[in-house]
Amino acid sequence: MSAGADIATARPARDVPVAPLLFAGSLALYIATALATGQHAYLTGEGFVGLTQRMVALGIVALGQTLTILVGSIDLSVANLISVSAVLASFIMKGEPAMIVPAVLAVLALSAAVGLVNGLIIARLDVNPLIATLGVGLILQGLLSASFSNFAGSVPAAFQAFAYGRIGPLPWSVLLLFVLAFAIWLMLTRTRFGAHLYATGGNRDGARLAGLRTERVMIGAHVLCSLMAGLTGLYLASRLRAGAPWVGRDGVYDLESIAVVVIGGTLLAGGRGGVWGTLAGVFLFATLDAVFNMTGIDAFPKQVLRGAIVILAVAVYAVRSKGHVA
Amino acid sequence: MNTATPVLSMRGIGKSFTGVRALDDVSLDCQAGEVHAICGENGAGKSTLMKVLGGVYRPDEGEILLGGRPVAFRHPAEARRAGISIIHQELSLLPERSVADNIFLGLEPTRGGLLDRAAMQGGARKLLERVGTRVHPDALVKSLSIAEQQLVEIAKALALDAQIIVMDEPTAALDERDAGRLLELVATLRREGAAILYISHRMAELKAIADRITVLKDGKLVATRPAAALTPAMIVRLMVGRDLADFFPPPGDPTKLGPAVLSAQGAGNAVLAEIALELRAGEIVGVAGLEGSGKGALGRALFGDEPFTRGRMTIDGRDGLIASPRTAIAAGIGFLSDDRKKEGIAPQQSLRDNVLMTLRAFAQRLLPPGSGAMARAAADRQLTEVDVRAAGFAQEIRELSGGNQQKVVIGRWLARDPKVLIFLEPTRGIDVAAKAAIYQLMRHVAERGRAILMISSDLPEIIGVSDRILVMHEGRIAGELKRGASEEDVMHLALGTGQAEAAA
Repeated sequence: MSAGADIATARPARDVPVAPLLFAGSLALYIATALATGQHAYLTGEGFVGLTQRMVALGIVALGQTLTILVGSIDLSVANLISVSAVLASFIMKGEPAMIVPAVLAVLALSAAVGLVNGLIIARLDVNPLIATLGVGLILQGLLSASFSNFAGSVPAAFQAFAYGRIGPLPWSVLLLFVLAFAIWLMLTRTRFGAHLYATGGNRDGARLAGLRTERVMIGAHVLCSLMAGLTGLYLASRLRAGAPWVGRDGVYDLESIAVVVIGGTLLAGGRGGVWGTLAGVFLFATLDAVFNMTGIDAFPKQVLRGAIVILAVAVYAVRSKGHVA
Repeated sequence: MNTATPVLSMRGIGKSFTGVRALDDVSLDCQAGEVHAICGENGAGKSTLMKVLGGVYRPDEGEILLGGRPVAFRHPAEARRAGISIIHQELSLLPERSVADNIFLGLEPTRGGLLDRAAMQGGARKLLERVGTRVHPDALVKSLSIAEQQLVEIAKALALDAQIIVMDEPTAALDERDAGRLLELVATLRREGAAILYISHRMAELKAIADRITVLKDGKLVATRPAAALTPAMIVRLMVGRDLADFFPPPGDPTKLGPAVLSAQGAGNAVLAEIALELRAGEIVGVAGLEGSGKGALGRALFGDEPFTRGRMTIDGRDGLIASPRTAIAAGIGFLSDDRKKEGIAPQQSLRDNVLMTLRAFAQRLLPPGSGAMARAAADRQLTEVDVRAAGFAQEIRELSGGNQQKVVIGRWLARDPKVLIFLEPTRGIDVAAKAAIYQLMRHVAERGRAILMISSDLPEIIGVSDRILVMHEGRIAGELKRGASEEDVMHLALGTGQAEAAA
């Protein structure tokens, strides 16, 4: 077995640090636009806080979506679950501070249950995840629309602190987003469950034959993803001061969360990626929002641009990962 | 060799990928009615050369002549239209479509703008007859065995009326009997005047079928010789550039066998019956049998993938049937699947992640950096021990050759060091040098007191590596043979025409 016998395959330049590049690029775009349009208010500390605050809702749900995509699944029910959570929270609270804890617990319990159902359908019944979560999402929306047609209840002032409160200059919600991202990063890199998530996404059959309980991993990822959607619902209820049955749909959180995960470099097929890329993708979308606000261009070109960025990102990853196979 | 203009001639073909020279000045030709075999280690450039011929890649240098006229293909469809048919190693049939649909894919006969079903049916039937199979044209491809699919793939090539047929390891997934049939078919095609390029690793086949043999190494042509002038040893030497004196490792020492580590009595399930076997520490037991004999099912049953539903099993002194892969692993069994891509590797993950997969499956919940299941050092030690050749251990495993991928998956198990290892087709689609390395590794593991059950369709490997051989026939163990048995002994038992020898 001489060492000369093998041809070293050239490695395609794949290890580009996606997250920092996306982040730096977005930031540059933001600053350049603010300077060009002369809106220096955007460049103050308050301006940047506003920018990060744009990240919170999409960011939390996208963290969850990162997990389902990493494990080789996907969750299309998050937008509807966000609506349900927001409405349920404000309906239970009805402006009473004493009901905050029960409402939050109820929302989280319901979210975990939805995730469990998603996971069970996908892992045990072997239903394609697109179909399973689309179906669950439609059921959720149907139940919600049958019960509520407008703002339901309201959240007490104490709960609005979730969206509007600050610790020093930093909003609670932004802090929460980064704490969650850090916790999930720790989970992915430092726990057995994290390693199993990557392995299951990398090759589900292979992982099972290597001794992993892939069903549990799949279900766990979905429960966490739905919990994140529930949190997003709570945040939106807090920010809007009441829950409305259209908040999730209007935010297009299902498709946008998938888009930012993919932009962040996580493989749609699963098994590769991480939270920092996703956060960078969220930051890019927040930047685009801000940039369009500054320039006063209406929303339609923004959607076109977002679409183009998603396609471009996937194309770039596809080209870069086409390694030479002899 | 006649001196007529060859049907196919490739002149000075060169092709590079991002700095890697995959092909360098390769020239070969093929006459009508000739089988020209091409061999070489994985990565030697065989597949690239075939892809150049098939219009998948455009060569950087050199030219292709068909009947003396230069051609340049921009697309595989152009190569097909020019009469070149390539039967790829990985079957390219559509599983959910019928056999006839597949055979006429892209060549569908029409009448008045509509598909002519009757013509497809009739045409498919004729072609299937020609390749010697009774598969029905309306059968769905997914319902066929691998061997039948391979024949459908050939029928598809014949539908094209190709003058040049390229076969890329067509027998890799076939057992001895089906491989024999396929070789007869190749001989028939040759008689009918086809020019056939035949890629294979199997020496016996090359001797049986090839008129000329070309050996590639590291993208260069080493030699083209008449097959009659080459012995298998010479071919191997040309392929690896040196002798493979110890291709098969020495047998185990029967006096050093340990206690039984795995045994089964009267075990069975839907496809297996009355399975009785015993594996002792320190031995390599081969399991032979035809496609469909249940030899793969035996491995999967012992490992709990498709478990036994009756009978008794004892593993390392403890009784109980294995119900799932996880319980099998916990009980001390390891398993190498015969489908490396689907059930082995996580293709886009690093060598380290792949080799650590099983350790992580049983790791503690929190993995501090540097702990057993996360540590680079442990992964790297394991990868070095199984002698994986890679640019780096952070490399994606899909970029490696099949042999190196297989070493990584074996390393995954050795990291946990189970008492019993069940290997399904451990060297399928792997080049000679890697095969030899895997055999040595297996013997080394056995000498450390582990038992290996090696289930294989490759008869020379069964005979060369095993300390004793179990032969399966129709879901049962038809008999046991001692080391030194001949291929005929095995085939008799496998076909159900021989008598079972008394167990040793």
